[in-house]
Amino acid sequence: MSLHNVKKEAAEDMEPQSKRRRSSECDSDSWAAYPVLSDEQSQEAELIEAIAVPITNKKETSRLVRELSSLYPLPGLQHIKRVRACKPDSPHPLEAVVCLVSDAPHIDSEEAISVDSLLPSDRVRHDGLGEPFVVKVPACPPLTRPQFELASKHWPTSFHEDKQVTFALRGELFSPPQKARMQEYMLSAVAAARAGKESGMEAIGAVVVDPKLEKVIAVAHDCRGDHPLYHAVMVSIDLVAKGQGGGAYSFDKYPACQFALPTSNSTTETSQNEAVQPYICTGYDLYVTREPCVMCAMALVHSRIGRVFYGTSSADGALGTKYKIHTQKDLNHRFEVFRGVLSKQCEHLNGLEYIRKLK
Amino acid sequence: LCRLDMGTEREQSFHPSDEEIQRWMASAFDMAKDALENGEVPVGCLLVYNNQVVGKGRNDVNETKNATRHAEMLALDQLLDWCRHSNVDAGSVCERTVLYVTVEPCIMCAAALRLLHIPLVVFGCRNERFGGCGSVMDVTSAQLPHTGTAFQCVAGYRAEEAVEMLKTFYKQENPNAPKPRTRKD
Repeated sequence: MSLHNVKKEAAEDMEPQSKRRRSSECDSDSWAAYPVLSDEQSQEAELIEAIAVPITNKKETSRLVRELSSLYPLPGLQHIKRVRACKPDSPHPLEAVVCLVSDAPHIDSEEAISVDSLLPSDRVRHDGLGEPFVVKVPACPPLTRPQFELASKHWPTSFHEDKQVTFALRGELFSPPQKARMQEYMLSAVAAARAGKESGMEAIGAVVVDPKLEKVIAVAHDCRGDHPLYHAVMVSIDLVAKGQGGGAYSFDKYPACQFALPTSNSTTETSQNEAVQPYICTGYDLYVTREPCVMCAMALVHSRIGRVFYGTSSADGALGTKYKIHTQKDLNHRFEVFRGVLSKQCEHLNGLEYIRKLK
Repeated sequence: LCRLDMGTEREQSFHPSDEEIQRWMASAFDMAKDALENGEVPVGCLLVYNNQVVGKGRNDVNETKNATRHAEMLALDQLLDWCRHSNVDAGSVCERTVLYVTVEPCIMCAAALRLLHIPLVVFGCRNERFGGCGSVMDVTSAQLPHTGTAFQCVAGYRAEEAVEMLKTFYKQENPNAPKPRTRKD
């Protein structure tokens, strides 16, 4: 199959590489791919109220921590540190968490909380303690660096950082060569979208890629002008099936919808036999100009897609906007989703679509 | 060809009688039984318009190697073909068509039914793994203004029978699989 490669033209140019890239309409520095994380990962860290107490004598700290931990072990709050250091201008050097407000005994709303009511003196010796006060602490362990940074503003919190997620949130997960490839794939999705629009379809394109072989498996555009359910993603899934000897749709009318036959890679075939046979979309990446709808998102779950990259969000989108079907715990397949790939060019397609509807 | 741009308002009076529901669901169950006897996923599904079956389907995932070829999707394709051949407007047919199916449609199929503006779905047992009409997600009445029209469901028709057929199927398919835990809805 022939793939639209916009960069080919540029390559014939005699300009030096750097200059050429800068002058190009599609500079891969002009966009960043951001992960679409689950609600637990992307929401602000939830805070709960706890009672803390000043430690006025530093030398008592280790005994106090031992006695406090035995009286109030704080199950479920292993992520917060028991003791924090105070600023140099504070009258006391340290502060310690005693317990959650909800776990504190005998607190009358009338009465101020006191050391006596909180800490029976036979369990915790009161030497070196100040008057208790209420603080906010993070309710759950932080999952991302932004959550960690917010949580730490309230109380020192430990954080097992997933560096991949941190890089991804900064839009720095992919290297320049990776981004160049991603851009090439999305450019062919954009080209397919334009071809679809030429034949009266909505300007949406989708490309399925085998990232291991760096090979394009299917190029599709929206065909809903002929069939209301032939969204670009549904079309691309059927094209993948066609390449595997199946398929259900007829593509005679759509020359821009193409699929690749599996290349017989002799080394993998002889050494690993059936295990390498492609199975629906397992291990494949999808590049789609616009965030998929509920039907398409669930079709991707059924097809066991590896990762999804999309250009722009859509109003009823199901991979970030209205739902995050790729993170749904009850479903048997989950996958990573990134948005923002070649966002401007994809946005431009939506503009074309808007103009078409006005006409 | 099959443009379905139409208002979201619907005739309130459109609802099949109990007798009709009974009759068409019996037919859907016959299809499911037939599938089971032929070693296929026991799901029966039909689209009925104006007392006439305009689409029916059974799961065709294995043959097509396309995991989206669920019974409902095939039935919807047939409905659109029927409209084309009968030279009638698909929009006006869909808005008066009922889907009768032995198992709750999955999230994908539920969204497809919305996109085609099917107003009513009658189903047997719940689909705990993929159900899009309340079991895993509820896309039937969700606020999705760009995803067709919300639809109504009549759930639980001969549910135990539908579950039993599924259990029988999954037992024969994999003799080594652990016994499914019985769950009463």
